[in-house]
Amino acid sequence: MAELTLDNVSKVFVEDDGNHIVAVDDVSVDIRDGEFLVLVGPSGCGKSTTLRMIAGLETITDGEIRLGGEVMNDKEPKERDIAMVFQSYALYPHMTVRENMAFGLEESTSMGDDEIDERVSSAASMMGIEELLGRKPRELSGGQQQRVALGRAIVRDPAVFLMDEPLSNLDAKLRSKMRTELQRIQEDLGVTTVYVTHDQTEAMTMSDRIAVLDDGRLQQAGTPLECYHEPSNEFVAGFIGDPSMNFFDVEVQGNQLRAADFTYPVSDETLQEIGDRTNLRLGIRPEDVTLSTDGATGEHDFETVVDVVEPMGDENNVYLTFDTGGEPDEDDETFVVTVGGMQQVEAGQPVTAHIPEEAVHLFDESSGEAVKNRSLEQVETLGKHV
Amino acid sequence: MSTETVTPEETDVGVDTERVALYAVLGGLVAFYLLPIETGLMTSLKADPFSSAPFLPPVEQFTTAKYARAFDALGHGFVNSFLLTIPATVLSALMGSMAAYGLTNVDWKGQVGILALFIAGIFIPYQAVLIPVSKFWGSIVPLETWFEPVWLLTPGIEQYHFNVLELIITHVAYGLPICTLLFRTFYLDLNDEMIEAARLDGASIARIYRRLILPLSGPMFAVVLIYQFTQIWNDVLFALVLVGSGDGAMVTVVLAQLGNNLSSVGIGLKMAGAFLTALPTLLVYIFFGEQFAEGIAT
Repeated sequence: MAELTLDNVSKVFVEDDGNHIVAVDDVSVDIRDGEFLVLVGPSGCGKSTTLRMIAGLETITDGEIRLGGEVMNDKEPKERDIAMVFQSYALYPHMTVRENMAFGLEESTSMGDDEIDERVSSAASMMGIEELLGRKPRELSGGQQQRVALGRAIVRDPAVFLMDEPLSNLDAKLRSKMRTELQRIQEDLGVTTVYVTHDQTEAMTMSDRIAVLDDGRLQQAGTPLECYHEPSNEFVAGFIGDPSMNFFDVEVQGNQLRAADFTYPVSDETLQEIGDRTNLRLGIRPEDVTLSTDGATGEHDFETVVDVVEPMGDENNVYLTFDTGGEPDEDDETFVVTVGGMQQVEAGQPVTAHIPEEAVHLFDESSGEAVKNRSLEQVETLGKHV
Repeated sequence: MSTETVTPEETDVGVDTERVALYAVLGGLVAFYLLPIETGLMTSLKADPFSSAPFLPPVEQFTTAKYARAFDALGHGFVNSFLLTIPATVLSALMGSMAAYGLTNVDWKGQVGILALFIAGIFIPYQAVLIPVSKFWGSIVPLETWFEPVWLLTPGIEQYHFNVLELIITHVAYGLPICTLLFRTFYLDLNDEMIEAARLDGASIARIYRRLILPLSGPMFAVVLIYQFTQIWNDVLFALVLVGSGDGAMVTVVLAQLGNNLSSVGIGLKMAGAFLTALPTLLVYIFFGEQFAEGIAT
């Protein structure tokens, strides 16, 4: 058990033709002892490279990685007391499950056969794979191989678990089951874990904290709810949440934000936060917009037309265009709203969309930095209003 | 029967002509490939090879005496050839596998240059190195001179054994490039993450080879062992130049001289000798055949 520190870590790959590619750019994160940190970002954002630097499979170009206060930069992977679960599971195909799990203990410790056997058995029972111990990997299903790969990491009892998209090869149903199970195991063992994924659902549901990476740079590190409600910039706001946040280019005119298809009046408090910026991006999450057929009554109500409806069962994703009076055409910008599954909406239907000001996010147009976020203080705790 | 379907008679006729042609061609090819072998076999079993047409089976002339004589003449050559081929084959396969592992799965600077040298080695013609190699073993590294006390004093070890040793080293050196390349194509397909997992599990480079790479290389070893065994067993050039005839002569060299002083009657003996000499390579194919097929498929 230990805390893991990434201190201004960078990784530059030099290609054969002399090109320098910055894969990871000045990333700093402190991962507390026992914390479950999810590194999330689109493919090519440097999250796997970061993980491989922690593992010692990639050299560190600049900065420092410390585990329990000890600098890891020049240590061999085997000296780092780290276990990793790979996307391909990376099981040893010619060995049985038992041999796969025992391999690390045989190579890295001086334990006797009895002790190794005992630890393999207890890790196997934790993963529910006792009856598979005599089988070879090719005789196992994908889900079972996944369990063996996790068991192989657990049996080592390392200071840190590293997981590189371990669930991405499983089908959707098994994935959500393993998600819960992985979380339970991590909580039981209390081992510091760094988990890499491109799937924001995994990031939201499993993590203690999320670190969002884009283009090699750390965008935000925070709890799932912080990243959701108080994104530090437009990228995080768009990446976290499904369906994604809607964005509109707006221009500040007096106490109004003027977009291409609508004008949004704002309060004095919001104006204060905007300061002297003139061009902004207005963001609104699909679930924060409410629909009605009563017609526009308030200043934040807008006449819209339903373009497409995607029924999901529990909810409907409704794509709307602003009713600007003219004929609807293909170029009209659509935005997405989610409504309850029992609320029937049909394509072509005119509806009124209410965009509440407290749910609106504003971002600086050029830097993407958040200007105004929804406050976490508005989050309700079940049974009491904060 | 609907109008769209072809009547059975028509189909049968169409298929029949096609099939007859197909089997005729196949039969012709089989005869083309097997006739020389069959002729050789028949010739080797006749007391007088010119008593009937070469491909006809022996009737009154049947004899196995040629095989007995050939075996007597080749016996010592067989021992020498096994003494050469088995260690040379195993060593070149093992070292090729290690070299390929080092050049493929282990990351270090300059490996591309070394690999290029290995590949270039495949294209060196034997004829080009014949004289340098014989000079090398004759005057620069004359093993038989250096180890003179050993073969003089140790019973069972003869002078020519050191010629065989020179030949083993030569064959290992010249077989290594192709063995390395064969193993490399196999190792390129191994899962990199598996090797990384082993590194994180605490295994050293040598241990990863011992416990992961070597056990997984079985099918490729079958391919390389068969290939190298056949190459080295059938070689005459190096065998003739580096060892020559005499006590240390390889079976191929003895075979070349077999029956030469018997004029026409020697043909049957030569044939018998050729069949005996070819037998070990055939057995190796049969022995490793299954893994060979598996190795080719990967």
